Amino acid sequence: MFTVLAANAFTKILNDFGVTGPLFIAQVINFIIVLFVLKKFAFGPIQAMLEQRKNRIAEGEEKLKRIETQLAESEERTTAAIEEANGTAKRLIEEAQESASAISEQKTQEAIASAQGILAKAEEAAKAERAQMVTELKQDFGRLVAATTANVTGKVLNDDDNKRINEEAVASIKG
Amino acid sequence: MSKILSTLSLLALITGVACAEGGHQLTPESNVLVGSRDGLAITNSMVMVWLATGIIVLFCQAATKKMSMIPVGFQNFAEWIIESLYNFFEGILGEHLVKRTFWFFGGTFLLILISNWLGLIPGVGTIGVQGEDGSVNYLLRGGNADINVTAAMSVVFAVLWFYWAFTENGTKGFFAHIFAPKGDFSGVMKFGMIAIFFLVGCLEIISIFIRPVALSFRLYGNVFGGEQTLESLMALGGTYFAFAPALPFMFIEVLVGLVQALVFTLLSAVFLKLICDHGDHAEDH
Repeated sequence: MFTVLAANAFTKILNDFGVTGPLFIAQVINFIIVLFVLKKFAFGPIQAMLEQRKNRIAEGEEKLKRIETQLAESEERTTAAIEEANGTAKRLIEEAQESASAISEQKTQEAIASAQGILAKAEEAAKAERAQMVTELKQDFGRLVAATTANVTGKVLNDDDNKRINEEAVASIKG
Repeated sequence: MSKILSTLSLLALITGVACAEGGHQLTPESNVLVGSRDGLAITNSMVMVWLATGIIVLFCQAATKKMSMIPVGFQNFAEWIIESLYNFFEGILGEHLVKRTFWFFGGTFLLILISNWLGLIPGVGTIGVQGEDGSVNYLLRGGNADINVTAAMSVVFAVLWFYWAFTENGTKGFFAHIFAPKGDFSGVMKFGMIAIFFLVGCLEIISIFIRPVALSFRLYGNVFGGEQTLESLMALGGTYFAFAPALPFMFIEVLVGLVQALVFTLLSAVFLKLICDHGDHAEDH
Protein backbone atom coordinates (compact mmCIF):
# COMPACT_ATOMS: atom_id res chain seq x y z
CA MET A 1 0.00 0.00 0.00
CA PHE A 2 2.74 2.41 1.07
CA THR A 3 4.84 1.43 -1.95
CA VAL A 4 1.98 2.08 -4.32
CA LEU A 5 1.29 5.46 -2.74
CA ALA A 6 4.96 6.38 -2.91
CA ALA A 7 5.18 5.27 -6.54
CA ASN A 8 2.08 7.29 -7.42
CA ALA A 9 3.46 10.36 -5.65
CA PHE A 10 6.80 9.97 -7.40
CA THR A 11 5.11 9.61 -10.80
CA LYS A 12 3.02 12.70 -10.09
CA ILE A 13 6.15 14.68 -9.18
CA LEU A 14 7.85 13.56 -12.37
CA ASN A 15 4.82 14.52 -14.45
CA ASP A 16 4.47 17.88 -12.72
CA PHE A 17 8.08 18.74 -13.46
CA GLY A 18 7.91 17.47 -17.04
CA VAL A 19 10.23 14.51 -16.63
CA THR A 20 9.70 11.80 -19.22
CA GLY A 21 11.77 8.70 -19.83
CA PRO A 22 12.78 9.42 -23.42
CA LEU A 23 13.59 13.06 -22.71
CA PHE A 24 15.60 12.15 -19.64
CA ILE A 25 17.58 9.48 -21.53
CA ALA A 26 18.10 11.95 -24.40
CA GLN A 27 19.47 14.51 -21.95
CA VAL A 28 21.78 11.91 -20.38
CA ILE A 29 23.18 11.02 -23.82
CA ASN A 30 23.33 14.71 -24.66
CA PHE A 31 25.26 15.49 -21.48
CA ILE A 32 27.73 12.64 -22.05
CA ILE A 33 28.36 13.88 -25.61
CA VAL A 34 28.77 17.44 -24.33
CA LEU A 35 31.30 16.30 -21.72
CA PHE A 36 33.22 14.38 -24.38
CA VAL A 37 33.20 17.39 -26.74
CA LEU A 38 34.36 19.72 -23.96
CA LYS A 39 37.10 17.31 -22.94
CA LYS A 40 38.29 16.82 -26.50
CA PHE A 41 37.98 20.30 -27.96
CA ALA A 42 37.87 22.71 -25.02
CA PHE A 43 39.95 21.45 -22.11
CA GLY A 44 42.20 19.07 -24.02
CA PRO A 45 44.48 21.54 -25.80
CA ILE A 46 44.67 23.91 -22.83
CA GLN A 47 45.34 21.14 -20.34
CA ALA A 48 47.96 19.67 -22.66
CA MET A 49 49.70 23.06 -22.82
CA LEU A 50 49.45 23.47 -19.05
CA GLU A 51 50.86 19.97 -18.58
CA GLN A 52 53.65 20.68 -21.06
CA ARG A 53 54.52 23.90 -19.27
CA LYS A 54 54.37 22.17 -15.91
CA ASN A 55 56.75 19.47 -17.15
CA ARG A 56 59.03 22.11 -18.58
CA ILE A 57 59.08 24.01 -15.32
CA ALA A 58 59.74 20.75 -13.47
CA GLU A 59 62.56 19.97 -15.91
CA GLY A 60 63.91 23.48 -15.42
CA GLU A 61 63.81 23.06 -11.66
CA GLU A 62 65.50 19.67 -12.00
CA LYS A 63 68.20 21.22 -14.15
CA LEU A 64 68.56 24.08 -11.71
CA LYS A 65 69.01 21.61 -8.87
CA ARG A 66 71.60 19.72 -10.93
CA ILE A 67 73.40 22.96 -11.77
CA GLU A 68 73.33 23.99 -8.12
CA THR A 69 74.78 20.61 -7.12
CA GLN A 70 77.42 20.88 -9.82
CA LEU A 71 78.17 24.43 -8.76
CA ALA A 72 78.54 23.35 -5.14
CA GLU A 73 80.84 20.51 -6.21
CA SER A 74 82.78 22.85 -8.46
CA GLU A 75 83.09 25.35 -5.60
CA GLU A 76 84.33 22.58 -3.33
CA ARG A 77 86.84 21.48 -5.97
CA THR A 78 87.91 25.07 -6.55
CA THR A 79 88.28 25.69 -2.82
CA ALA A 80 90.33 22.50 -2.49
CA ALA A 81 92.47 23.47 -5.50
CA ILE A 82 92.96 26.98 -4.12
CA GLU A 83 93.89 25.56 -0.72
CA GLU A 84 96.31 23.17 -2.37
CA ALA A 85 97.75 25.96 -4.51
CA ASN A 86 98.03 28.15 -1.41
CA GLY A 87 99.87 25.37 0.41
CA THR A 88 102.21 24.82 -2.53
CA ALA A 89 102.78 28.55 -2.92
CA LYS A 90 103.48 28.90 0.78
CA ARG A 91 105.94 26.04 0.64
CA LEU A 92 107.63 27.49 -2.44
CA ILE A 93 107.87 30.89 -0.79
CA GLU A 94 109.39 29.36 2.32
CA GLU A 95 111.83 27.39 0.19
CA ALA A 96 112.62 30.52 -1.83
CA GLN A 97 113.09 32.49 1.36
CA GLU A 98 115.39 29.82 2.76
CA SER A 99 117.26 29.64 -0.52
CA ALA A 100 117.42 33.43 -0.75
CA SER A 101 118.77 33.76 2.77
CA ALA A 102 121.38 31.07 2.07
CA ILE A 103 122.42 32.80 -1.15
CA SER A 104 122.40 36.15 0.61
CA GLU A 105 124.65 34.78 3.36
CA GLN A 106 126.95 33.29 0.78
CA LYS A 107 127.06 36.52 -1.18
CA THR A 108 127.65 38.50 2.01
CA GLN A 109 130.54 36.24 2.93
CA GLU A 110 131.93 36.55 -0.58
CA ALA A 111 131.51 40.30 -0.46
CA ILE A 112 133.25 40.42 2.91
CA ALA A 113 136.07 38.27 1.59
CA SER A 114 136.32 40.35 -1.52
CA ALA A 115 136.32 43.56 0.53
CA GLN A 116 138.98 42.18 2.82
CA GLY A 117 141.09 41.24 -0.25
CA ILE A 118 140.61 44.72 -1.68
CA LEU A 119 141.57 46.25 1.66
CA ALA A 120 144.66 44.07 1.91
CA LYS A 121 145.69 44.97 -1.61
CA ALA A 122 145.06 48.62 -0.91
CA GLU A 123 147.17 48.46 2.24
CA GLU A 124 149.95 46.77 0.36
CA ALA A 125 149.76 49.35 -2.42
CA ALA A 126 149.70 52.14 0.13
CA LYS A 127 152.70 50.66 1.89
CA ALA A 128 154.62 50.31 -1.40
CA GLU A 129 153.66 53.82 -2.40
CA ARG A 130 154.73 55.14 0.99
CA ALA A 131 158.05 53.35 0.75
CA GLN A 132 158.59 54.75 -2.69
CA MET A 133 157.69 58.23 -1.51
CA VAL A 134 159.99 57.89 1.43
CA THR A 135 162.81 56.85 -0.89
CA GLU A 136 162.09 59.72 -3.21
CA LEU A 137 161.88 62.14 -0.31
CA LYS A 138 165.14 60.88 1.05
CA GLN A 139 166.79 61.37 -2.30
CA ASP A 140 165.31 64.85 -2.61
CA PHE A 141 166.36 65.63 0.92
CA GLY A 142 169.94 64.49 0.22
CA ARG A 143 170.05 66.62 -2.89
CA LEU A 144 168.72 69.59 -0.96
CA VAL A 145 171.22 69.07 1.82
CA ALA A 146 174.10 68.84 -0.72
CA ALA A 147 172.87 71.93 -2.53
CA THR A 148 172.49 73.82 0.71
CA THR A 149 175.97 72.79 1.82
CA ALA A 150 177.44 73.88 -1.44
CA ASN A 151 175.77 77.26 -1.19
CA VAL A 152 176.77 77.75 2.45
CA THR A 153 180.35 76.72 2.06
CA GLY A 154 180.79 78.13 -1.40
CA LYS A 155 182.62 75.09 -2.33
CA VAL A 156 182.03 73.22 -5.46
CA LEU A 157 181.14 69.71 -4.46
CA ASN A 158 182.25 66.81 -6.52
CA ASP A 159 180.39 63.60 -7.01
CA ASP A 160 182.01 61.91 -4.04
CA ASP A 161 181.08 64.81 -1.80
CA ASN A 162 177.55 64.82 -3.04
CA LYS A 163 177.30 61.11 -2.49
CA ARG A 164 178.64 61.27 0.99
CA ILE A 165 176.48 64.22 2.02
CA ASN A 166 173.46 62.46 0.59
CA GLU A 167 174.20 59.28 2.46
CA GLU A 168 174.77 61.18 5.72
CA ALA A 169 171.56 63.19 5.30
CA VAL A 170 169.54 60.14 4.44
CA ALA A 171 171.07 58.26 7.35
CA SER A 172 170.08 61.04 9.71
CA ILE A 173 166.39 60.69 8.76
CA LYS A 174 164.37 58.16 10.76
CA GLY A 175 162.64 55.43 8.99
CA MET B 1 24.87 56.18 -22.36
CA SER B 2 22.78 56.17 -25.52
CA LYS B 3 23.96 52.61 -26.19
CA ILE B 4 22.78 51.53 -22.76
CA LEU B 5 19.40 53.19 -23.27
CA SER B 6 18.94 51.63 -26.68
CA THR B 7 19.88 48.19 -25.28
CA LEU B 8 17.42 48.63 -22.44
CA SER B 9 14.73 49.73 -24.87
CA LEU B 10 15.38 46.67 -27.01
CA LEU B 11 15.26 44.47 -23.93
CA ALA B 12 11.99 46.12 -22.92
CA LEU B 13 10.51 45.61 -26.32
CA ILE B 14 11.51 41.97 -26.56
CA THR B 15 10.43 41.01 -23.09
CA GLY B 16 7.45 43.30 -22.92
CA VAL B 17 6.01 42.34 -26.26
CA ALA B 18 6.44 38.67 -25.58
CA CYS B 19 4.78 38.96 -22.20
CA ALA B 20 2.03 41.19 -23.45
CA GLU B 21 1.21 39.15 -26.50
CA GLY B 22 1.60 35.74 -25.00
CA GLY B 23 0.85 36.47 -21.43
CA HIS B 24 2.26 33.00 -20.71
CA GLN B 25 4.29 31.94 -17.75
CA LEU B 26 7.19 29.53 -18.18
CA THR B 27 6.01 26.04 -17.39
CA PRO B 28 8.18 23.51 -15.52
CA GLU B 29 8.48 21.30 -18.55
CA SER B 30 10.59 22.19 -21.56
CA ASN B 31 9.14 22.68 -25.04
CA VAL B 32 9.75 20.06 -27.70
CA LEU B 33 10.98 21.73 -30.88
CA VAL B 34 11.41 18.61 -33.01
CA GLY B 35 9.89 15.17 -32.35
CA SER B 36 7.57 14.23 -29.50
CA ARG B 37 7.86 14.05 -25.70
CA ASP B 38 7.44 10.30 -25.72
CA GLY B 39 10.09 9.59 -28.34
CA LEU B 40 13.15 11.12 -29.92
CA ALA B 41 12.99 14.84 -29.41
CA ILE B 42 14.96 18.04 -29.51
CA THR B 43 13.87 20.39 -26.75
CA ASN B 44 14.57 24.09 -26.30
CA SER B 45 16.70 23.37 -23.23
CA MET B 46 18.75 20.89 -25.26
CA VAL B 47 19.43 23.62 -27.80
CA MET B 48 20.61 25.91 -25.01
CA VAL B 49 22.99 23.25 -23.72
CA TRP B 50 24.40 22.86 -27.24
CA LEU B 51 24.73 26.62 -27.51
CA ALA B 52 26.59 26.75 -24.21
CA THR B 53 28.85 23.90 -25.33
CA GLY B 54 29.47 25.65 -28.64
CA ILE B 55 30.41 28.88 -26.89
CA ILE B 56 32.86 27.10 -24.56
CA VAL B 57 34.41 25.12 -27.42
CA LEU B 58 34.69 28.22 -29.65
CA PHE B 59 36.22 30.18 -26.80
CA CYS B 60 38.80 27.47 -26.09
CA GLN B 61 39.51 26.89 -29.78
CA ALA B 62 40.03 30.63 -30.33
CA ALA B 63 42.29 30.78 -27.29
CA THR B 64 44.36 27.83 -28.46
CA LYS B 65 44.58 28.79 -32.13
CA LYS B 66 48.10 30.13 -31.80
CA MET B 67 49.38 28.31 -28.77
CA SER B 68 52.72 29.44 -27.40
CA MET B 69 54.76 28.30 -24.44
CA ILE B 70 54.61 31.83 -23.02
CA PRO B 71 50.88 32.63 -23.02
CA VAL B 72 49.64 36.05 -24.07
CA GLY B 73 46.24 37.67 -24.50
CA PHE B 74 43.33 35.32 -25.07
CA GLN B 75 45.35 32.17 -24.45
CA ASN B 76 46.50 33.60 -21.14
CA PHE B 77 42.89 34.31 -20.12
CA ALA B 78 41.68 30.83 -21.12
CA GLU B 79 44.60 29.20 -19.33
CA TRP B 80 43.90 31.29 -16.27
CA ILE B 81 40.29 30.08 -16.17
CA ILE B 82 41.16 26.41 -16.68
CA GLU B 83 44.13 26.49 -14.32
CA SER B 84 42.13 28.30 -11.61
CA LEU B 85 39.36 25.70 -11.92
CA TYR B 86 41.91 22.90 -11.84
CA ASN B 87 43.61 24.30 -8.74
CA PHE B 88 40.23 24.84 -7.08
CA PHE B 89 39.19 21.21 -7.58
CA GLU B 90 42.69 20.00 -6.73
CA GLY B 91 42.27 21.72 -3.35
CA ILE B 92 39.19 19.57 -2.71
CA LEU B 93 40.02 16.30 -4.43
CA GLY B 94 43.79 16.15 -4.17
CA GLU B 95 46.43 15.78 -6.87
CA HIS B 96 45.59 12.20 -7.88
CA LEU B 97 41.79 12.41 -8.07
CA VAL B 98 41.69 15.74 -9.86
CA LYS B 99 43.80 14.30 -12.69
CA ARG B 100 41.19 11.59 -13.20
CA THR B 101 38.08 13.69 -12.78
CA PHE B 102 38.80 17.25 -13.90
CA TRP B 103 37.24 16.69 -17.31
CA PHE B 104 33.90 16.08 -15.56
CA PHE B 105 34.02 18.78 -12.89
CA GLY B 106 35.56 21.46 -15.12
CA GLY B 107 33.20 20.68 -17.98
CA THR B 108 30.11 20.56 -15.77
CA PHE B 109 31.01 23.80 -14.01
CA LEU B 110 31.49 25.75 -17.23
CA LEU B 111 28.44 24.18 -18.82
CA ILE B 112 26.17 25.08 -15.90
CA LEU B 113 27.65 28.58 -15.64
CA ILE B 114 27.33 29.44 -19.32
CA SER B 115 23.86 27.84 -19.54
CA ASN B 116 22.72 29.90 -16.55
CA TRP B 117 24.06 33.12 -18.00
CA LEU B 118 22.68 32.38 -21.44
CA GLY B 119 19.28 31.96 -19.84
CA LEU B 120 19.41 35.63 -18.84
CA ILE B 121 19.84 36.90 -22.39
CA PRO B 122 16.69 38.68 -23.59
CA GLY B 123 14.72 36.40 -25.85
CA VAL B 124 15.42 33.20 -23.95
CA GLY B 125 12.14 31.95 -22.58
CA THR B 126 10.25 34.84 -24.17
CA ILE B 127 10.39 34.35 -27.92
CA GLY B 128 8.33 31.49 -29.25
CA VAL B 129 5.77 30.28 -31.69
CA GLN B 130 2.14 30.39 -30.64
CA GLY B 131 0.21 27.23 -31.33
CA GLU B 132 -3.41 26.92 -32.42
CA ASP B 133 -4.46 26.16 -28.84
CA GLY B 134 -2.86 29.40 -27.64
CA SER B 135 0.16 27.79 -26.00
CA VAL B 136 3.58 29.24 -26.84
CA ASN B 137 6.40 26.97 -27.91
CA TYR B 138 9.44 28.89 -26.73
CA LEU B 139 12.47 28.50 -28.97
CA LEU B 140 15.00 28.80 -26.19
CA ARG B 141 14.92 28.04 -22.50
CA GLY B 142 17.54 28.23 -19.76
CA GLY B 143 19.37 24.89 -19.88
CA ASN B 144 19.11 24.29 -16.17
CA ALA B 145 15.50 25.43 -16.00
CA ASP B 146 14.63 21.96 -17.34
CA ILE B 147 14.81 19.24 -14.72
CA ASN B 148 15.62 16.65 -17.38
CA VAL B 149 18.97 18.42 -17.90
CA THR B 150 19.86 18.76 -14.23
CA ALA B 151 18.69 15.19 -13.54
CA ALA B 152 20.84 13.94 -16.42
CA MET B 153 23.86 15.72 -14.96
CA SER B 154 23.21 14.33 -11.49
CA VAL B 155 22.65 10.78 -12.69
CA VAL B 156 25.77 10.83 -14.85
CA PHE B 157 27.68 12.08 -11.82
CA ALA B 158 26.13 9.36 -9.63
CA VAL B 159 27.23 6.63 -12.06
CA LEU B 160 30.72 8.13 -12.32
CA TRP B 161 30.81 8.46 -8.53
CA PHE B 162 30.26 4.70 -8.16
CA TYR B 163 32.88 4.00 -10.86
CA TRP B 164 35.51 6.26 -9.27
CA ALA B 165 34.66 5.05 -5.74
CA PHE B 166 35.04 1.37 -6.67
CA THR B 167 38.22 1.87 -8.73
CA GLU B 168 39.83 3.97 -6.02
CA ASN B 169 38.84 1.83 -3.01
CA GLY B 170 38.17 -1.63 -4.42
CA THR B 171 34.91 -3.43 -3.62
CA LYS B 172 35.97 -4.34 -0.07
CA GLY B 173 37.31 -0.89 0.60
CA PHE B 174 34.15 0.74 -0.74
CA PHE B 175 31.89 -1.15 1.67
CA ALA B 176 34.39 -0.80 4.49
CA HIS B 177 34.31 2.94 3.89
CA ILE B 178 30.58 2.98 4.39
CA PHE B 179 29.98 0.33 7.06
CA ALA B 180 33.26 -0.21 8.94
CA PRO B 181 33.57 1.40 12.40
CA LYS B 182 35.91 4.36 12.47
CA GLY B 183 38.28 4.35 15.40
CA ASP B 184 39.86 1.73 17.62
CA PHE B 185 37.45 -0.05 19.96
CA SER B 186 37.62 -3.21 22.04
CA GLY B 187 35.34 -5.43 24.11
CA VAL B 188 31.59 -4.75 24.27
CA MET B 189 32.19 -1.28 22.87
CA LYS B 190 33.49 -2.84 19.68
CA PHE B 191 30.24 -4.77 19.06
CA GLY B 192 28.20 -1.71 19.89
CA MET B 193 30.15 0.37 17.44
CA ILE B 194 29.81 -2.26 14.72
CA ALA B 195 26.01 -2.13 15.14
CA ILE B 196 25.96 1.68 15.20
CA PHE B 197 28.20 2.05 12.16
CA PHE B 198 26.12 -0.53 10.30
CA LEU B 199 23.04 1.65 10.87
CA VAL B 200 25.07 4.74 9.90
CA GLY B 201 26.13 2.90 6.74
CA CYS B 202 22.48 2.16 5.89
CA LEU B 203 21.68 5.86 6.26
CA GLU B 204 24.75 6.63 4.12
CA ILE B 205 23.43 4.34 1.38
CA ILE B 206 20.08 6.18 1.45
CA SER B 207 21.98 9.48 1.37
CA ILE B 208 24.00 8.30 -1.65
CA PHE B 209 20.79 7.63 -3.60
CA ILE B 210 19.19 10.89 -2.48
CA ARG B 211 22.20 12.97 -3.58
CA PRO B 212 21.40 13.02 -7.33
CA VAL B 213 17.83 14.01 -6.55
CA ALA B 214 18.99 16.82 -4.26
CA LEU B 215 21.62 17.98 -6.73
CA SER B 216 19.21 18.08 -9.66
CA PHE B 217 16.32 19.74 -7.79
CA ARG B 218 18.59 22.32 -6.13
CA LEU B 219 20.01 23.50 -9.43
CA TYR B 220 16.71 23.28 -11.29
CA GLY B 221 14.81 25.02 -8.48
CA ASN B 222 17.20 27.95 -8.27
CA VAL B 223 17.42 28.55 -12.00
CA PHE B 224 13.76 27.99 -12.75
CA GLY B 225 12.78 30.05 -9.72
CA GLY B 226 15.04 32.86 -10.92
CA GLU B 227 13.46 32.83 -14.35
CA GLN B 228 9.98 32.83 -12.82
CA THR B 229 10.93 35.76 -10.59
CA LEU B 230 12.28 37.75 -13.53
CA GLU B 231 9.19 37.01 -15.59
CA SER B 232 6.81 37.98 -12.78
CA LEU B 233 8.72 41.21 -12.19
CA MET B 234 8.71 42.05 -15.88
CA ALA B 235 4.95 41.65 -15.94
CA LEU B 236 4.77 44.39 -13.30
CA GLY B 237 6.49 46.93 -15.56
CA GLY B 238 3.86 47.03 -18.26
CA THR B 239 4.46 46.85 -21.98
CA TYR B 240 7.32 49.33 -22.37
CA PHE B 241 8.97 49.29 -18.94
CA ALA B 242 8.99 45.58 -18.29
CA PHE B 243 12.76 45.69 -17.89
CA ALA B 244 12.74 48.17 -14.99
CA PRO B 245 11.52 46.02 -12.08
CA ALA B 246 13.53 43.03 -13.26
CA LEU B 247 16.83 44.86 -13.84
CA PRO B 248 18.21 44.63 -10.26
CA PHE B 249 17.31 40.94 -10.18
CA MET B 250 19.19 40.36 -13.43
CA PHE B 251 22.41 41.20 -11.56
CA ILE B 252 21.41 38.87 -8.74
CA GLU B 253 20.69 36.13 -11.28
CA VAL B 254 24.18 36.60 -12.77
CA LEU B 255 25.54 35.91 -9.30
CA VAL B 256 23.09 33.05 -8.72
CA GLY B 257 24.22 31.47 -12.01
CA LEU B 258 27.81 31.43 -10.78
CA VAL B 259 26.93 30.30 -7.26
CA GLN B 260 24.73 27.44 -8.48
CA ALA B 261 27.42 26.22 -10.87
CA LEU B 262 29.83 26.33 -7.97
CA VAL B 263 27.44 24.59 -5.54
CA PHE B 264 26.67 21.72 -7.92
CA THR B 265 30.29 20.95 -8.77
CA LEU B 266 31.60 21.68 -5.29
CA LEU B 267 29.12 19.30 -3.65
CA SER B 268 29.82 16.65 -6.29
CA ALA B 269 33.55 16.99 -5.65
CA VAL B 270 33.05 16.78 -1.89
CA PHE B 271 30.88 13.64 -2.27
CA LEU B 272 33.61 12.02 -4.30
CA LYS B 273 36.34 13.12 -1.91
CA LEU B 274 34.43 11.68 1.05
CA ILE B 275 34.27 8.20 -0.44
CA CYS B 276 37.84 8.28 -1.80
CA ASP B 277 39.42 9.79 1.30
CA HIS B 278 42.11 7.44 2.58
CA GLY B 279 43.22 9.72 5.37
CA ASP B 280 41.51 8.18 8.40
CA HIS B 281 41.75 4.47 7.77
CA ALA B 282 44.28 3.82 5.08
CA GLU B 283 45.15 0.56 6.81
CA ASP B 284 41.69 -0.83 6.06
CA HIS B 285 42.39 -1.02 2.36
